[in-house]
Amino acid sequence: MPGVPTDGGAVGTVVPFSREPGDAVAAPPVRTIRHGVAPPVSRVYVSFSSGNLLQVACLGPPIPEGGGGRGAQEVAVGRVVEVNLGGGGSGPGGADVEEEIDEAEMRRIQYGSVPAFALLQSRKNALADAAAMSRVPSVSEHAEWWQYVLEYSKTIGSLLGNPDSLPAFMIDDPKTILKDREKPTSLKASWELLEIFFVDKQLKSWLPERFVDWLADYDSLLTKTENTVYRTLTNFQKKLINLQIVEDDPDYWNGLAAALSVGWLDIVVNMLRFHGSYQLDQMDNRETENGLVEAVAVLVSTMPRMRPDLPTGKLGHCCKTRPDFIKALEKWRGQVNKLECSAFWIQCGHQKTRDGLKNLLHIMLGNIKNLTAATSHWLELFASHFLYIRPFTVGFEGMNHLAQKCIQLKPSTDNSGLTGLLGGILSENPEVVLAECTKSFGPWMVTHAMELLTADNDYADMMLHEERPNIGGISLEELHRLVYAQVLCSHSLTWQIAPTYLSSCLNQGLGLLEILLLKQPIQDNRLVLKTLEICRLYELGNVSTNIMKIGGIYHWKHGRKGTGVYWFQQAHDKVRLDRIALQLFENIGKSVTDDSFKVLISTLLYALSFV
Amino acid sequence: MADHSSFRRHPHPFSVDLVRWLPTFGSTGRLLAAAVHDPAASSSHIHLLSVSDPSTPLTSLPLPSRATALRCSPSVLAAATTSGSLHLLPSSFDTDSAVSVPSGALFHVGPVRGLDCGGGTGGEEWVTAGEDGRVHVVAGGGDGRVVARRVWEGKGMVGYQAARWASPAEFATGGAGCGVQWWDRRKGDAVVVQCKGIWGHGIVTGMVHSIDIHPSRKHICVVGGSSGTIFAWDLRWPQQPIPLSGVGLDGTAQPVCESEVWEVLFDNYTQSSDIISSASTRILPVMMCSEDGILAVVEQDERPLELLVEPCAINSFDIDPHNPSVSSWLL
Repeated sequence: MPGVPTDGGAVGTVVPFSREPGDAVAAPPVRTIRHGVAPPVSRVYVSFSSGNLLQVACLGPPIPEGGGGRGAQEVAVGRVVEVNLGGGGSGPGGADVEEEIDEAEMRRIQYGSVPAFALLQSRKNALADAAAMSRVPSVSEHAEWWQYVLEYSKTIGSLLGNPDSLPAFMIDDPKTILKDREKPTSLKASWELLEIFFVDKQLKSWLPERFVDWLADYDSLLTKTENTVYRTLTNFQKKLINLQIVEDDPDYWNGLAAALSVGWLDIVVNMLRFHGSYQLDQMDNRETENGLVEAVAVLVSTMPRMRPDLPTGKLGHCCKTRPDFIKALEKWRGQVNKLECSAFWIQCGHQKTRDGLKNLLHIMLGNIKNLTAATSHWLELFASHFLYIRPFTVGFEGMNHLAQKCIQLKPSTDNSGLTGLLGGILSENPEVVLAECTKSFGPWMVTHAMELLTADNDYADMMLHEERPNIGGISLEELHRLVYAQVLCSHSLTWQIAPTYLSSCLNQGLGLLEILLLKQPIQDNRLVLKTLEICRLYELGNVSTNIMKIGGIYHWKHGRKGTGVYWFQQAHDKVRLDRIALQLFENIGKSVTDDSFKVLISTLLYALSFV
Repeated sequence: MADHSSFRRHPHPFSVDLVRWLPTFGSTGRLLAAAVHDPAASSSHIHLLSVSDPSTPLTSLPLPSRATALRCSPSVLAAATTSGSLHLLPSSFDTDSAVSVPSGALFHVGPVRGLDCGGGTGGEEWVTAGEDGRVHVVAGGGDGRVVARRVWEGKGMVGYQAARWASPAEFATGGAGCGVQWWDRRKGDAVVVQCKGIWGHGIVTGMVHSIDIHPSRKHICVVGGSSGTIFAWDLRWPQQPIPLSGVGLDGTAQPVCESEVWEVLFDNYTQSSDIISSASTRILPVMMCSEDGILAVVEQDERPLELLVEPCAINSFDIDPHNPSVSSWLL
């Protein structure tokens, strides 16, 4: 129980309550508040204001009438102190996000996602209304729903990019392996992952290739401590500046094998051109060797890919249909085999080149041992299966099975949120997906990603929309949105977008919105106007009237009579306005000799006359 | 019509309340002054920013409380605060030589929102009008001091929200529920004309947030206020304000916005669509920003031209007199 303050100590500490002995939780921290009220403090009122602000009102005993010694100094009889209890933690991003994205960036993302979210909700409501009226579920509209979600997903995905991180002026160095791109963030990576697997129906037939593309963009984020293909290549790039004979370095061949195994064909071909046999003074001696390297490069650049098109700069031979692909693959594998069995290898003088190129050929033939040796992380092995061993894996079950196998072959201890997320997606478990989002990416992600999960998945839809008695009869979707709205409200720069999310919560949203609006401070007229604008948008007439009345009384009591009357007029508070008008008439009638004061009162009455 | 230039966005860690172009050039190009507020530390500052890199302030002047008005003259940057003090920073931006008039019984108590420069003989006098109903004229005392002379003590009966000089001896103010007033210092520092304003259908009265007076047509004020109301006040017909935009106003084009109009400025760059007869009867185009995130150009009897629509409020904007570019700052 809260303790009663002792005899008004000079500093005025609030006494902490004592817990039962043996309680595992540590005692709560004690804060000292300087309030400047002369002791004894007879009353203390405590209430939460907006966000993390605690308002403490300390009142001393009332001054007796005609009290002596009204000296030059004013003695504070009471004071209200605002204590900021915030500080650290519970931001809108989760563990992974807060390290990569700073607060102002996150705020930009939060503000940008509001119109997309609002649009999707209004479309959802329109569909529901149409369905309720016509009583026949319109199949065509439901079929189009995923396209709306895709549009929403693309809008938000474009917010998550970071185009400013590109260097303004890029010099094309022929010896770069990895080009400078915009810095990837795990928030964008996870968003794209959800979009690929849950929303984009056009991708269904070439999902594996799309996953390979995703990995190419975000391989650098998979783990912080363990090795990845990206890390291997960046390390080699640093060495490259000082290397004289590139093909003698085992890291060169490791890098080539790694890049080939995850399908970064353009990098492989580029790196092969660093081979010493291309140098003009070596060309004559190492003709066979050069021929072999070039042959491998050509084979790599013509590898068949089961996808409709390739982005510019990427290599491969695209096949749109399965029979085309199978034919091309057979032909290509035949060429690889022919090269492998050719007699030129005996003539190739350089041992490392021979072994390295043969390794690449075995990878192209889909040899599991070579692939496992070339990749570093299970996700890379997973991707390499799609390219070389089982290009037709599309079902979730098949992919999950494959993923489990890869995890067994390459167990990993340092898992980022992305790997956990992918695990949840492949095992078709929306609960795991949501849990992973909450832990690693925060409330913003969860609130917005729920729309992606329910785009086409009946089970997820049901799970998220079912009303659960154990959380007060609201659905999981509403719960997550309320948590996010709470995070928004706790910061004075984002509370104004919380109403969008609160209004989409059918059960408790509007009630909480009213409480939020009534708690906003009324000292500043501009802030009151912002609050009233929100009331107007959400048609909360009685809340706005209350706020105006409170504002009116506040300004009237603090001597700003004109402003007070203005607020009473806005609130159409006839009772108080009549009382004020009466009071002022009486003042004029009395012996008020000051002419200017009369002028002032008549000004006020002039204003009042427009009630 | 002005053609749309591109917009650059710069996320800022603090809340930006007000922004103004500075008339002087810095070493790296144009400069902006921004009044910012850090909610975490509850501190407020005026930041001087370079347009090429607005995220790092070049100089910073701390303020005792949140800024409520910001204005630049050719040689001085002035800011007024919510506690009622006025701070003047010379164009050398040396924060040590900043002069301030503290809040209190001799000056203002409470937010000062009306602030403008342009009065007096040299055009260097400042008018301040506050929510406490007081109006002061602040002038340099000659030796670096500033002297504030009280023009009007309203004793709280009126609350002023905006002020603007029209000529060295006349200025206009506007407030909450009392419309706009025209003051003439030659006639004993008194209000000579006032007007309640025209606020739209079903709306009795509103709060004036911003006034602008065209430098070459000093008898016309344009006023922006609550509920999306913008009207022009021609002193030659003082009781017949001309509506430019508003909710439910007859005789205007559709309202450009329905919420508070925070700032209005005469737009020198938008060509009036009716150049031939723009002699003296039509109101020149006016740019405005509002609480529902709209930055637009409004012209009499024309469709408003929206320049920017944002999901959040636009608190303040300014037009660069040297260049047709606008900077606007959002929540």
